[in-house]
Amino acid sequence: MKFRTLEGLTVLFSWAAGLLLLSAVSLLLGYLLIKGYQSVNLSLIFGDASPLRAVLLKERVFDGLFPAIAGTLVLVILSIVWAIPVGVAAGIYLAEYAGSRVKKVLDVFFDVLSGIPSIVVGLFGFSFAVFLHKHYSDRIGPCLLISSIALSILVLPYIIRTTQASLEGIPLDLRLTALALGATRFQNIFLVLIPRSLSGIMSGIILAIGRCAEDTAVIMLTGAVASAGLPHSLFSQYEALPFFIYYISSQYANPDELMQGYGASIILLLLCAGLFSLAYGIRKGLNYWAFYRP
Amino acid sequence: MSHSNTENIKIRVADLTFSYRGRRILNDVSVDFAANRITALTGPSGVGKSTFLTTLNRLWENIPDARMKGRVEIKLQGKFRDVYARDLSVTELRKQVAMVFQTPNPLPMSIRKNIAFPLKLAGEKNREVISSKVENTLKMANLWEEVKDRLNDDARNLSGGQQQRLCIARALVLEPEVLLLDEPTSSLDQASTTVIEELLTGLKDRLTILVVSHYLEQVIRISDRVVEFADETIVS
Repeated sequence: MKFRTLEGLTVLFSWAAGLLLLSAVSLLLGYLLIKGYQSVNLSLIFGDASPLRAVLLKERVFDGLFPAIAGTLVLVILSIVWAIPVGVAAGIYLAEYAGSRVKKVLDVFFDVLSGIPSIVVGLFGFSFAVFLHKHYSDRIGPCLLISSIALSILVLPYIIRTTQASLEGIPLDLRLTALALGATRFQNIFLVLIPRSLSGIMSGIILAIGRCAEDTAVIMLTGAVASAGLPHSLFSQYEALPFFIYYISSQYANPDELMQGYGASIILLLLCAGLFSLAYGIRKGLNYWAFYRP
Repeated sequence: MSHSNTENIKIRVADLTFSYRGRRILNDVSVDFAANRITALTGPSGVGKSTFLTTLNRLWENIPDARMKGRVEIKLQGKFRDVYARDLSVTELRKQVAMVFQTPNPLPMSIRKNIAFPLKLAGEKNREVISSKVENTLKMANLWEEVKDRLNDDARNLSGGQQQRLCIARALVLEPEVLLLDEPTSSLDQASTTVIEELLTGLKDRLTILVVSHYLEQVIRISDRVVEFADETIVS
């Protein structure tokens, strides 16, 4: 009887927690949409410029979010490009090759890394930029490259941990299947274990994309500025949506400007949704290519 | 415990001792197995029958905290080879000494790719050769007629019995000399069990088969010899 009551309470609590989460997300999205939907239009993105000419890079956008959207997109892609190979490789090493002692040490190291506040990572990026400026070239300063490297450090633990957990979660039977058929350890990892873990690995990458797209503390110290136009090189400063949202919400002069902040938030969410869909599509495509292609 | 006909011996095991996490599983086991026979390994749970199989293809080496001592020799291409000798590659050994597990374990890929997988590992790239071997092996495993129209479907959508026959076919595609089966029918219904037993009986002309089984009736039906395990060793 006691256990039945306890089970009933657990189920009730689980339902309530799920419902609370769903309500919180719905409330947040609803609030953003209600506040910002009126300001989301072509003029918010392109200002007075012609959208087509702006997209074709024939006209510069001065008073719209287009440079910030482009900056965010380039920043996220660069950060993920740096983070994926290192994160996946480290996850594979921890799950498949590391001895128990090395694993313990690295586990602590990556736990510490995942707990470092983003402002500290930003400060590290800034210090790195200053170091390069002093010792290598005075043309190097806070820029897109430094921001993307700092962000990739910030998101590395997500990719490492999800890769490691996905690989370690594979049942022993499946782990031994390819080996019993004559596969080498390397073949087993790359032909069976990693493809089988793609879903988990992609979850980590999606988390990392979200984090790269939203983080403000890192980029405000390493290269994001309020007005820079489209990013034209790895060493240029750039505009980014989270920085714009932070800037406008702390400096707005009138309600219309604040509305632009809400509009930018909706665009940032849509951008993330687009990147998540792309990541999901890539996962499906890779899965088909690896396992079901005739 | 040696087999009487030394001419026909395929596998020789001598002084085999195995422990896992410090616990002795097999103690000083010596036994020979004849070629082109089905030998059933029986005995209560936990006496090391499945472990014994993994010492023949060195699969135990992938299990952490396991230790083994002793000598295992298998006649491959007409010549006895020390399974643990440095000059015998473990991947080559496993291509010759194939294994099928207790639970059907199709890889998460299509039926065709499951069968072609060992060929891919062996470096076979010719699509025609692969297609022909896939077809022949599925026919050998009595599965071709059931799957020929859906070779690109996910293998995990097959029934349990079909999945296990697929796994046997996959193990056979490289034409191994020895087939190890660890309770291959324990998770299957009677109809699927019968199909697999017939399949194994039909294969013994080409292969040496060692099958772990708990089922006395099955042992009587299919095996030419029974080896009984108990208390860390072989008792009959």
